[in-house]
Amino acid sequence: MFKWFDERLELKKFKEKFLSKTFPTHPTFLIGEIALFSFITLVVTGIFLGLLYEPSTKMVSLFGAMVPAAYASVVRIDLLPMGMLIRRIHHWSAMIMIAAILAHLMRVYFTSAYRNPREINWFVGLGLFGISLFAAFTGYLLPYSNFSVTATSIGYYIAKSVPWIGNWISTLLFAGDFPSNATVPRFFFLHVMFIPFLLVSLIVLHMVILVKQKHTEPAVNRTKKESQNGKRLIGIPIWPEQAIISIAFYFFLLFVIVLIATYIPLNPIESYGPPAAGTPVMRPDWYFLIVYGFLKLIPGDLSFSIFGGKITPETIGGVIFPTFLILVFALIPLLDRAKQPQHYISNPLHRPFMTALGITGGVFLTMLIVSGYIDVLKIAPKTMILYVVLATAAAGAVSYSLLRVYNRNKNGGKNV
Amino acid sequence: MVNEPGKTPDTMDKKGITRRKFILGTILVAIAGALGSLFSLLKVLAPSKKGSGYVSTISPGDVLVYATGSKIGMEIKASSMNAGDAELVYPKGKSSNPANLVQVIKLSEQDFKAPTNVQLTDKGFVAYSAICTHLGCTVSWVKNQNSPDASYTECFCHNSIFNPSRGDLVEGGPAPIPLAQIGVRVNNDDTLSFTSDFTGPIGPQV
Repeated sequence: MFKWFDERLELKKFKEKFLSKTFPTHPTFLIGEIALFSFITLVVTGIFLGLLYEPSTKMVSLFGAMVPAAYASVVRIDLLPMGMLIRRIHHWSAMIMIAAILAHLMRVYFTSAYRNPREINWFVGLGLFGISLFAAFTGYLLPYSNFSVTATSIGYYIAKSVPWIGNWISTLLFAGDFPSNATVPRFFFLHVMFIPFLLVSLIVLHMVILVKQKHTEPAVNRTKKESQNGKRLIGIPIWPEQAIISIAFYFFLLFVIVLIATYIPLNPIESYGPPAAGTPVMRPDWYFLIVYGFLKLIPGDLSFSIFGGKITPETIGGVIFPTFLILVFALIPLLDRAKQPQHYISNPLHRPFMTALGITGGVFLTMLIVSGYIDVLKIAPKTMILYVVLATAAAGAVSYSLLRVYNRNKNGGKNV
Repeated sequence: MVNEPGKTPDTMDKKGITRRKFILGTILVAIAGALGSLFSLLKVLAPSKKGSGYVSTISPGDVLVYATGSKIGMEIKASSMNAGDAELVYPKGKSSNPANLVQVIKLSEQDFKAPTNVQLTDKGFVAYSAICTHLGCTVSWVKNQNSPDASYTECFCHNSIFNPSRGDLVEGGPAPIPLAQIGVRVNNDDTLSFTSDFTGPIGPQV
């Protein structure tokens, strides 16, 4: 049978040309795969959920109570054998996917794998990160529980707070005002068709660029090659080695996700109930805590007008701050340039400034996540702002000086 | 045109409209036209329905009914509330408009300080909009069991804190303005009813 296919598809040629491509090996090179594999799990569980979900806010009877059809359909999914498990796997995969994207981004940053010629893939990766957050946000609304409506409402007012064009953006995104009956169908389409389409396209682009440019190599490969006078990539071929590692890794990841999903509940919509007058005590999923914490810290009286556009604390925390973060990330390969193409990853310890900058940024964002819990920690917003500033400054100063000292000692007192 | 070696007909004459320029121009015009015609779609996708934001439909005389809990929709009795209690309420028959959601609070009468409008309170009952002025969550009541008058209103979304005895002034958190007060009165049959409209803007101030 192989022969029959080979005659028509030239499989042997394909194997020689594509499947024999070499992949350099390093444990951290598998982080991106976690994101990719979580996405595959999301698609598979998403198809199951999509077949049973009803994107409508029409009121229907569920066990004698009148609730929105979307909420009722998710409660029915939860009651199916394994239904709640599939929903939790879906939600946990989303959390893990975004964590993996961030970890992958950190790996690329600290090893400076974003430099010439890989800037384009850095931008594509940032796009994937942003669109994944958007996918998560549109997914919040779909169960149409009290939590869903509150979370989406906050997003609605943040979109509305964009100066000048806020009303237009919010009506375009939410199909009118929120809450209204039009938002759920629109978010359903965005969540199951439009955003996955964008994600798949960008993932393919990410992979094609990776294959075209070849993966960066661990620095030890340089010395290995010099001793062997070789020029080719050192690593393992896609088929069979890399593929077998990946398959095993995927099923291990799936096992971990199912284990977590089995024992740790997530988004229990039955306990939030359908939309009601009261707001539940709630916090967004971890990746939105950064913006959530920032929103808690900004004083409420910080609003002003500029050229007829109104800048409110929500504009600063929900629009300007995230845009600023994305810009900073996008600027990294433009500022830290390399004239010659770089094909080996660098040791973060040898790059004091960039590594210290990364640590400082990481501490700053972590402190904002902590700010999301000031009500639990009983810290006043003003005190917390002080803590954020102090921790960030301390992280920068300490990490930079330590790295400088490390490098000085290593180079026998010579400054690098 | 004569073909010279190494030159194509396009590149021979750099002046004027060459075939290459013409084709390029046509493509650009076609793309611009196609994209421009799609602009009208954006208008369709973003309905221009105005009336965004919260517009209350409460009128004086509306009776207060429970908005949450097991007694949802039932008239609230003044005698059922003690100092330090608060309830989320709607005007009877107008629960479909979220802008009508109000928090009615019972305090001691001597507790009210400026800028509370004392004219709009009755026998220690005071009412404020329950829609947080920050991002539109419903506010909650944090009851202090030991000293009921030290209870306060908090929005659990981003921890804005409002002082009910001082006109719901913002005492902490990101809310930009106080929750607007609304007049409330105890009737002879122990029910409560509204006596005025909101004293200020309600809903998120974006």
